[in-house]
Amino acid sequence: MTSLNTHSEPLILEMRSITKEFPGVKALADVSLRVKAGEIHAICGENGAGKSTLMKVLSGVYPYGTYTGDIVYQNEVQEFKDIRASEHAGIVIIHQELALIPELSIMENIFLGNEPTKRGVIDWNEARLRSTELLARVGLREDPDTPVKEIGVGKQQLVEIAKALNKSVKLLILDEPTAALNESDSQHLLDLMLGLKGRGITSIIISHKLNEIEQIADEITIIRDGKSIETLNVKADGVDEDRIIKGMVGRTLESRFPDHEPKIGEVLFEVKNWNVGHPQIQDRLVCKNSSFFVRRGEIVGFAGLMGAGRTELARSVFGRSYGRFISGHVYKEGKELQLRSVKQAIDAGLGYVTEDRKSLGLNLLDDIKATTVSANLRKISKHFVVDANKEYAVAEEYRKSLRTKTPSVEEGVAKLSGGNQQKVVLAKWMFTDPDVLILDEPTRGIDVGAKYEIYGIIQRLANQGKAVIVISSELPELLGLSDRIYTIFEGAITGVLDKDQASQESLMKLMTSARKTA
Amino acid sequence: MNALKKLFGGNTRQFGMIFALVALIVFFEIFTEGRTLTPGNVINLFNGNSYILILAIGMVLVIIAGHIDLSVGSVAAFVGVCVAIFIRDWGIPWYLGVLLGLLLGVAIGAWQGFWVAYVGIPAFIVTLSGMLIFRGANQFVGKSNTIPVPGDFQFIGSGYLPEVGPKTGYNNLTLVLGLLAVAYVIYSEVRSRRNAKELGAEVPEAWISILKLVLVCGAILYATYLFATGRPGTSFPIPGLILAVLILIYGFISSKTVIGRHIYAVGGNRHAAELSGVQSKKVNFLVMMNMSLLAGLAGMIFVGRSTASGPFDGVGWELDAIAAVFIGGAAVTGGVGTVIGSIIGGLVMAVLNNGLQLLGVGADLTQIIKGLVLLIAVAFDVYNKSQGKRSVVGMLMKNFSRSNEIKADETTSTKEVISKGA
Amino acid sequence: MRMIRTAGKAAAIAAIAALALTACGRSDTGTTGGSSSGGEAFPKGSSIGVALPQKTSENWVLAEQLFNDGLTKAGYKPDVQFANGGVSDQQNQISAMITKGDKVIIVGAIDGAQLGTQLKQAKDAGATVIAYDRLLLNTPDVDYYVAYDNFKVGELQGQALLDGMKGKKASGPYNIELFAGSPDDANAKVFFDGAMSVLQPKIDDGTLKVLSGQKTFDAVVTQGWKPENAQKRMDTLLAGTYGSATLDGVLSPNDTLARAIITSVKSAGKPIPVVTGQDSEVESVKSIMAGEQYSTINKDTNALVEHAITMVNDIQAGKKPEVNDDKSYNNKVKVVPAYLLKPVIVTKDNVHTAYVNDPVLGPITKQ
Repeated sequence: MTSLNTHSEPLILEMRSITKEFPGVKALADVSLRVKAGEIHAICGENGAGKSTLMKVLSGVYPYGTYTGDIVYQNEVQEFKDIRASEHAGIVIIHQELALIPELSIMENIFLGNEPTKRGVIDWNEARLRSTELLARVGLREDPDTPVKEIGVGKQQLVEIAKALNKSVKLLILDEPTAALNESDSQHLLDLMLGLKGRGITSIIISHKLNEIEQIADEITIIRDGKSIETLNVKADGVDEDRIIKGMVGRTLESRFPDHEPKIGEVLFEVKNWNVGHPQIQDRLVCKNSSFFVRRGEIVGFAGLMGAGRTELARSVFGRSYGRFISGHVYKEGKELQLRSVKQAIDAGLGYVTEDRKSLGLNLLDDIKATTVSANLRKISKHFVVDANKEYAVAEEYRKSLRTKTPSVEEGVAKLSGGNQQKVVLAKWMFTDPDVLILDEPTRGIDVGAKYEIYGIIQRLANQGKAVIVISSELPELLGLSDRIYTIFEGAITGVLDKDQASQESLMKLMTSARKTA
Repeated sequence: MNALKKLFGGNTRQFGMIFALVALIVFFEIFTEGRTLTPGNVINLFNGNSYILILAIGMVLVIIAGHIDLSVGSVAAFVGVCVAIFIRDWGIPWYLGVLLGLLLGVAIGAWQGFWVAYVGIPAFIVTLSGMLIFRGANQFVGKSNTIPVPGDFQFIGSGYLPEVGPKTGYNNLTLVLGLLAVAYVIYSEVRSRRNAKELGAEVPEAWISILKLVLVCGAILYATYLFATGRPGTSFPIPGLILAVLILIYGFISSKTVIGRHIYAVGGNRHAAELSGVQSKKVNFLVMMNMSLLAGLAGMIFVGRSTASGPFDGVGWELDAIAAVFIGGAAVTGGVGTVIGSIIGGLVMAVLNNGLQLLGVGADLTQIIKGLVLLIAVAFDVYNKSQGKRSVVGMLMKNFSRSNEIKADETTSTKEVISKGA
Repeated sequence: MRMIRTAGKAAAIAAIAALALTACGRSDTGTTGGSSSGGEAFPKGSSIGVALPQKTSENWVLAEQLFNDGLTKAGYKPDVQFANGGVSDQQNQISAMITKGDKVIIVGAIDGAQLGTQLKQAKDAGATVIAYDRLLLNTPDVDYYVAYDNFKVGELQGQALLDGMKGKKASGPYNIELFAGSPDDANAKVFFDGAMSVLQPKIDDGTLKVLSGQKTFDAVVTQGWKPENAQKRMDTLLAGTYGSATLDGVLSPNDTLARAIITSVKSAGKPIPVVTGQDSEVESVKSIMAGEQYSTINKDTNALVEHAITMVNDIQAGKKPEVNDDKSYNNKVKVVPAYLLKPVIVTKDNVHTAYVNDPVLGPITKQ
């Protein structure tokens, strides 16, 4: 399986038998990685497989001595004692959470910790000159003096890369670079990586988006449960997505969506002429005269690029928890609702599962049982006193029915993997017994196996007669799951397609143009 | 490890603090030649620290919700002087004075809560301003003088349970109280085991329950013995009684009620709480208001104990209360902490203070030692977290632990914890 | 389950049995306190508690050393504590002294009105309470008071202020400002009243003018005896009232405040007025020799501590300690028998002779 032609091209990096243990946990066991100079090498694996740990070992976040095994880089065994040491050698890692300081300008960020000085004083002219040049190289047309907080995530990613180029990077590591980017920003980033490759910079990319990997990677190393499973040569081995998935999960998935026979009833939930203003910026609408409806038992998808206003629409409907309410009507079972607070929305039978699990969906300090009941404490309390027995019983019931993998419901949610965290969040909202459930990016950051289960749960909820709204950036997911799909562009609903009419192309067209409502 | 967790309420940190407290008491008992655990001294310990411990109860809720309150000392002093003046100048009975004092505390708390919750000014600023306002108000109202309070008011700060019933050689009410406490502890343990069994949850081994009961009941009975056999005229002190009632009430509120859950939720992740239907403004308002209410109560108890209100009452109390809360395991970032932990933290400081005084160590050195203890306690906590959450005590007790298989999912967890630390 | 219940029961029964067996409960042997005569003979070598306030002036620091040495020499175990943490700290310290079984507790109170509960405890435990330097108020549980005659101190300060200004400028009117001590210290008012008994007639007849108009005790107090408070007030006075007018004299209740006042005057670039003081602190004595501060009061701490120890000796022997004033010091509950020592005014004229017996100041003031 490992390509035989390893000796034909020189290796820039070889990690040999890396083993890394945390108290009580073996995160990496005997992992090997061989990266050829000038290639794009992808590392794939489910969440928690050990990809990020491996990169932290490489970049010196976990210093020499805290792991066993050798790192051979440019034909020398390296003993990085911190990130500075690895950067000095030309290895730069760009983490999932960007390491930029929002209040500082693009230029200041690029040169942070590496300021060009003249007799001890920062030479801003030199810095501006060089940053303009670097920004041109990464294809970012912005004034170097713009504060980083004012540019989007996609552009911030480019600033990170510019920062890396400034450090004369030889090996660039990108950890989930496109996770937070929309399609066009992602594409730009991938093109940039290919461009860097052309200039002889080696890249390692960690990503869940297998189509991207298939598109740009030369070789793929697959890691599962802390072990390196195999290295595939994309061209020579004829690798496709299914092949990668097989390696990641150790089995082939016949179907990525469970079978589902929708039982659709009458219109249950309807929003009409919904207008919402931006919370800070006057006169800017994040939702423009949007109208949509969902039927009982129906799964409705919302497609749109990042920033199109999908989340804003959902949250403003959900008890005005986002933006400034301007006008619009919400009906459930034909009756108009006044939803002025989240509490009223929950009481009216709405549920909203946020896209940002960690900062908006979960209290990471809580345990599973407390999280499960947190949106409906009233149901398990009497005279404002929480019945701990009922709490435990409820949590236990959902643990079993959703097959959450945990030793006990008294475990902290922070300890769970993304997929299991999402199950707990789903349990929390299922426990409020909503008639209308809005799921915002329900499978973001969740590995393939868990996604399948989450889809199953969503379908079960619909079968119970609930109206389900799914917001997702992944078109295949929407196509596989929804009965009907609305498209959003710049705050306005631009179209609605039935399952059998919709395709990636037709959706993409509606998502990127302001054509009138279908 | 798990066994110990169960034994001490699932919190190794708490266990560490109890352990430290017991060790301190034993240390001082030995080095003061048995003067630490005398009835008189234990009574003093409670009387002389009850007001700080009462503040710690309010403070831990404030800190769990992610705020801080620097004004408590000033608020205590202001309420104290107002009540002293009400009683002196209006001639109202003491209980009306106490009631007015509590209302005043609520009013002050509503003022501060309004700014924190509804205007959105950080509690640090609001209460820093409150610290100045109410200190000034105390000295303005009291003309920077001491204002004496009558004997019956002093009861709440320096009174004892009265003698009733047959002459047994003990204070009867104290005995009754102690036995009731023991009965309650046994009852609740039995009940929790029964519940766990019914729910099919993990039931701790019998020996753990028995050991726990023996230890806890032993401690209660010993304390009862001490309180019941003090000098004639003394018994379980009234401030101690008020404190015990407050611990029960607030312990219950924080762990068992809806509002308690909401406080933890707001402190742990305010946005997530709001999206779960928690009205975070209301929670913040209540928490701040409650703090001033308790500060007012603490101020009145202090005035009762001091027999007079003075212009420098309560100076530095906010820091003592905050220290107690952090020693007791609360997190600066909010969302973490317990009432009982804060009480233990406060007792650690109190025992340290008292023991050093009994040893004749000067106030200057005492402050140095207290400062170091605070730092070490929190550093110990931080270090443990960075080391995969295993305390020194936990490591000592490793052999007690059950085999702890590692689930696949746990790999993520440890790494996340560590990467956060890094 | 059953096992638990039985075990619990067993534990409870065992504990109750233990309680019963230790039997006799509280000992009824202890003296029932409150005997107002206060104190009977007790063995030599007993522990004597000394509770002092914050270390805000040199006198208290010196007193600590003198008490430690003096009590040790007299055959007692000294137990001297400073209450840097305020009233609540002092309360706890006195409680701890009672626990330790101190036979006599000498209290230099931070706030003489806020120790009632602890003093009652002390009396109940059979200890004798001596108020040192500051009277203990609103309590029956204080046996003796030993201090300098504070009214006399005030009189001497007032007189010194007049004499000093006369020395600089033969005739009035003189512009003066008044400073008093902390309102929570019972002595502060006594000092002030003593001084005003001399100054008020002169204010009334126009010889003295208080340009700021701040003449009452409440208006001129210095919270907590803190020098920074006095300095701030002086800064304000100078800026507000003495832009053009000359300030001839300042009544300062003690040396620490006097120096703060002089610092303020200096930094405002004004000539130094006649400033009184009290306590004979080293820095102030030097300042007097340098011609800056005008006067201080020598309340020889040695003599005061010595007399306090003499009282302890008398109580130890079962004798009634000597007092020289059993009428003046009413603490609102009882008249406290007092022994008053006579203060001495010190100016540049007698600074070289006043401290000959003083171990610290003696060498400094030698020609």
